[in-house]
Amino acid sequence: MNEVCFKNIDKDQCWSLETYEATGGYSTWRKILKGEYTPDEIINELKTSGLRGRGGAGFPTGLKWSFMPRNAQGQKYVVCNSDEGEPGTCKDRDILRFNPHSVIEGMAIGSFVMNATIGYNYIRGEFMEPFNRFEGALKEAYAAGLLGKNINGSEVSFDLYSHLGAGAYIVGEETALLESLEGKKGQPRFKPPFPANVGLYGKPTTINNTESFASVPEIMSKGGQWFADLGVENSGGTKLFSVSGHVNNPANFEVSMGMPFSELLELAGGMRNGAKLKAVIPGGSSTPVLTAEAAMGMTMDYDGIDKAGSMLGAGSVIIMDESTCMVKALTRLAHFYYDESCGQCTPCREGTGWLYRVLKRIMDGKGKAEDIDLLMSVQEKIMGNTICALGDAAAMPVESFLRNFREEFEYYIEHGKSMVEK
Amino acid sequence: MIISDNTKKQIDSWIEKYPQGKQSSAVMEALKLVQAENDNQLTSEAIQAVADYLDMPGIAAAEVATFYENYNHKPVGKHIIRFCHNISCMLNGADDLITHLETKLGVKTGEVTKDGLISVKKVECLGACVGAPMFQIDDQYYEHLTADKIDDIVDGLK
Amino acid sequence: MASITIEIDGNIVNAKAGERLITITDREGISVPRFCYHKKLSVSTSCRMCLVDIEGVPKPQTACSTPVSDGMKIHTQNEKAKASQKAVMEFLLINHPLDCPICDQGGECELQDVAVEYGSDVSRFSEGKRVVAPSDIGPLIQTDMTRCIHCTRCVRFGSEIAGIMEMGGTGRGEDLKIEPFLAEGITSELSGNMIDVCPVGALTSKPFRYELRSWQMASADSVARHDLVGSNLYAQTYKGLVKRVVSGDNELVNETWISDRDRFSYEGLAHENRLLLPQIKVEGQWKEVEWNVALDFAIKGLNKNALNSRKAHKLGGLASSTATTEEFYLMQKMLREIGCENIDYRLNVNNLDDPIHLDSNIKLSDLECVDNVLVIGANLRLEQPMINLRLRKAQLAGATVSALNVKAFDYNHKTNHSTVSPNEIATILAGALKVILEKNSLEAPSYITNINPSELSINLAGKLLNSERSVIVLGEHVINNTQAASIAQMVAQIAKQVNGKTLNVTSSANTLGAQYAHFLPKSKGMNTNEMLTADMSAFLLLDIYPEYDFHHSNSAVEALSKDDVFVVSLNSFNNELVAQYSDVLLPMAAMYETSGSHVNINHDMQSFAAAVKAPEEAKPAWKILKVFADLLELQGFHYENITQVSEELRHQKIYKHKQDIAIELGKKSPAIETIWMHSAYHSDALLRHAKSLSSSKIGQTNSASMNTATAKELSLECGNTYLGVPVVVSDSVADRCVFVSSNQSTDMGRE
Repeated sequence: MNEVCFKNIDKDQCWSLETYEATGGYSTWRKILKGEYTPDEIINELKTSGLRGRGGAGFPTGLKWSFMPRNAQGQKYVVCNSDEGEPGTCKDRDILRFNPHSVIEGMAIGSFVMNATIGYNYIRGEFMEPFNRFEGALKEAYAAGLLGKNINGSEVSFDLYSHLGAGAYIVGEETALLESLEGKKGQPRFKPPFPANVGLYGKPTTINNTESFASVPEIMSKGGQWFADLGVENSGGTKLFSVSGHVNNPANFEVSMGMPFSELLELAGGMRNGAKLKAVIPGGSSTPVLTAEAAMGMTMDYDGIDKAGSMLGAGSVIIMDESTCMVKALTRLAHFYYDESCGQCTPCREGTGWLYRVLKRIMDGKGKAEDIDLLMSVQEKIMGNTICALGDAAAMPVESFLRNFREEFEYYIEHGKSMVEK
Repeated sequence: MIISDNTKKQIDSWIEKYPQGKQSSAVMEALKLVQAENDNQLTSEAIQAVADYLDMPGIAAAEVATFYENYNHKPVGKHIIRFCHNISCMLNGADDLITHLETKLGVKTGEVTKDGLISVKKVECLGACVGAPMFQIDDQYYEHLTADKIDDIVDGLK
Repeated sequence: MASITIEIDGNIVNAKAGERLITITDREGISVPRFCYHKKLSVSTSCRMCLVDIEGVPKPQTACSTPVSDGMKIHTQNEKAKASQKAVMEFLLINHPLDCPICDQGGECELQDVAVEYGSDVSRFSEGKRVVAPSDIGPLIQTDMTRCIHCTRCVRFGSEIAGIMEMGGTGRGEDLKIEPFLAEGITSELSGNMIDVCPVGALTSKPFRYELRSWQMASADSVARHDLVGSNLYAQTYKGLVKRVVSGDNELVNETWISDRDRFSYEGLAHENRLLLPQIKVEGQWKEVEWNVALDFAIKGLNKNALNSRKAHKLGGLASSTATTEEFYLMQKMLREIGCENIDYRLNVNNLDDPIHLDSNIKLSDLECVDNVLVIGANLRLEQPMINLRLRKAQLAGATVSALNVKAFDYNHKTNHSTVSPNEIATILAGALKVILEKNSLEAPSYITNINPSELSINLAGKLLNSERSVIVLGEHVINNTQAASIAQMVAQIAKQVNGKTLNVTSSANTLGAQYAHFLPKSKGMNTNEMLTADMSAFLLLDIYPEYDFHHSNSAVEALSKDDVFVVSLNSFNNELVAQYSDVLLPMAAMYETSGSHVNINHDMQSFAAAVKAPEEAKPAWKILKVFADLLELQGFHYENITQVSEELRHQKIYKHKQDIAIELGKKSPAIETIWMHSAYHSDALLRHAKSLSSSKIGQTNSASMNTATAKELSLECGNTYLGVPVVVSDSVADRCVFVSSNQSTDMGRE
């Protein structure tokens, strides 16, 4: 536990440069500045580590970095996605608050690999405390001569800035984030071209999640194999899991990939009031909901959760006990996607509102027997047809809630009230 | 509509972060800053002033100002309580607490208290799910809320 | 790009690597439904209607954005593709109103068309439909945004083509609303194209609102005649009336866009001031008569005043520059047959002794490929919108644009504006020419030896010398510059030195047609200004409105109104002034009502047929002129149709008046310089009678702009008038200059 991103979490002033450097922080970056690394060595180390994108997509980070046309002419950028906002997810906030230098060093290492001399950390607009911590860390890093142009005569330059959002979940989608960073509405771009070729201001750009960047320095100083061995096959390292909902001790836990769900639940203090587990959303609101039975049998890694019928996503584990009305829970999630759809493409703009309205009608006691098939059909028609993943994210909960808890919906439609709530 | 020199200075410090000619990257912060000095609200004139300052079309600034959550286009209170009602908070009783707050302040979500001090908004996930239920007042997060805690916090607002 | 083969619906198709799939399906005639895609706009992918199935790719892909690669296998019609297309169609329709019966787009609606094939008969959507409040965006475009499907074609048109982002998408999600910012509405001179690109009935023509169904109308190919471009368009007609104008496609001329003035000028055709019946003036009283009576009266009057007494040299023939080439040709032929050489179309030129000579030697489509542009004396956006559109493309592709203007006009592309007095232009060009000649190691002619090139001259010369494909555009504001002829000659010389091209837009409409038709005084003839001051006894006028058309409007009215001058007017509109000086009024067909041709700046003679018959007794002017010639018993007018006239004149070479004149740089006026321009929607008679254009923001323009110092010198301030035009104080105007852009007549003391 707490071996990578959270390794200093129990220390006093864990966010300070002093604490960070005292435990080996910036050692990789200093080596880079001394010319002791080549970009390929770093990429290979990352590939060995098995680090996969921690924002939710799980794409291998080393591979992603190798796609950047590092020798292309002109400016290139490295961007960190700290626009955390998927319901259930709150790990990046803690990384920024408690270990901001790991993000800075991770981005700096990335900038060297990608030959990008400018970086931006896009922090969600509401995260003022994390923003201030990060800004403070940036000041420390500049003052310590770790950032800037031609740092210590190394001919390596890296200028890093933070950028603040203004409230839009969709900006967590990487191309929407780039649009937003350019001062536009956060509407996702179509792909291809991918950001590695046409990114920020039309230039090659690598964009990674906060936790991904924050993991890089420790991987580099302890070795890719060390990190890989912390986890299991296909899921190297540790991972932050945000455990929320009906547990006694909701919190972020950095644990080894592959930990059985039941152990994670114990870490989080077990079920609140000793209630019975009913359902688990294992990776954030857009990942399919699992029944208690499916959840209790799974391990917390990419393959383990996949096998159980869901996705690891951002590692946002939402625990629901038997008192939870699944109709209400789904309606709340549907409202979220309806509210957060950017409106750009047809299936999402129109479909998310349709899903929410039908569910709302059911909640209002005006459901019809055919509504369940209608909801299934609408989510199916959104799925796969949109510009970005928000469409799928809106569809998947609907499909999984209806599949796993259909009788609760039928009951609600028939009786005009919840099966579980009084 | 005039942007104060102080605000212009702050906008300029954001503009400096972006490459030359990309000053419109600062539009989100510029809108926030101008909103802050205009009773927490963005009028069309204010949006146009920001657009002019950043040399971008008014409609492009308006697109931004209406796309993101954190801009207000109607009068709001001096303090804005943004209460999360998404799933983790909901599972932890946010709905009842929102009702509690509404009753206490005598307003519904989306409204402003008569004295103009407080607005209450129901918002989507604020990214503090392990601290649920939670709300944000201005720039500050308040987590693990209870009815008593809410009373204390709200009573302290001036 | 490498040639590759791909497979579409089982058929092998050749393509280029990286080409977008939809370009290929369109080329091959394979139908792929779409709403947001438009061949002239950037790719959006937002409607999702063009989703197709590509083998090996798990999710359906949009044809509009997908670059093809060798061996790609695409299915546009299989179950997966159809399912996606139908899904999108259903989503598009759930919030679309069922108001097709009262929607102006009905019958030409892309949504309707595609819905027939991909939609379902029954809606499964039983929630409330979205309603969007309409926004008033001006007199030209009607909005019904509840019908909007958010394809953003109008938004992209504005920012990408019109060059001014006026429409945008505000809000998000289901609340995304396509609208302009603030209440100013849409002001672009190209705004009507948003109507054409809108696939549904969200943006429709306001003047056409609730008039007709598209299928009720006939559609005639036509050519716009308000400027030197001659945009191709369609006049849509019903029961003998033009009801709407939409753009036509011609890559060499207007691509697929037309200006608002070309689109909405047709409204003038139905104006109550149309001249509908032949009239003669008997003892000071107007009498409506039959054609034969009016023509007889006209012939008799001309005979008496100018012909029988061998006074053909006292007859003058003037025509509006909007006439067709055939009208110019027949009129000059007839006049020359009866011995009259006093022929001119140049009404608004102060100095016709030293006329401007400058060839236009660049094609419209090549304008977008230049790398350096120098604009002299033009507010191109409003005066030549289609030319500006091409130059803007060049600028966006990297060309530098410099402008020498009396005012820093609002260009919609990046321009280096130099605000200069008309007085200074000749010297600036002389300086630039000197630098260029020196660089080319050529001797400078005497008139520039004493010139000391200014920084501006050196800068302009540098840009011209450093470019490979320059164009110098000479604009309408130069026409009354006291040194206009010298300026034009220096432009020609500079262009020659830098292997550049020139574009002469000092006059507009069909002035090139007039030159091909030789509608100019030759050796013994008098020009317009000479006619106005000479002792004339008769005039034959073609569609002339002196209070707007002449530079010397007061003396024109005076000359035409003399008691002993017999005036025959062929006019499409009537007004008090025309009635005052005319003795015969012959109603003529206006634009869309006559066949003929227009010569554009590519030197293409573009023919068009009448789309409608002229109202009541009005006749095409070429027919009136032919009958006139017959009645005068002239030979060579046995034309059976307009084509014979066109064929006859097609072989004529353009008439060039005089050769090089001596360049003089000395003539400078010490007075405050005034440049008077009609506002863009008041430059010809049809436009002035087009009500919606007149009420638009551009049509309402009426201002005399001057800087603070000039206003002070003239003891004027905002709220005052200058030459009858409201004063606007703006420091974007050159010192000691006034730029007037007015929708008023010029008869209030312009001189």
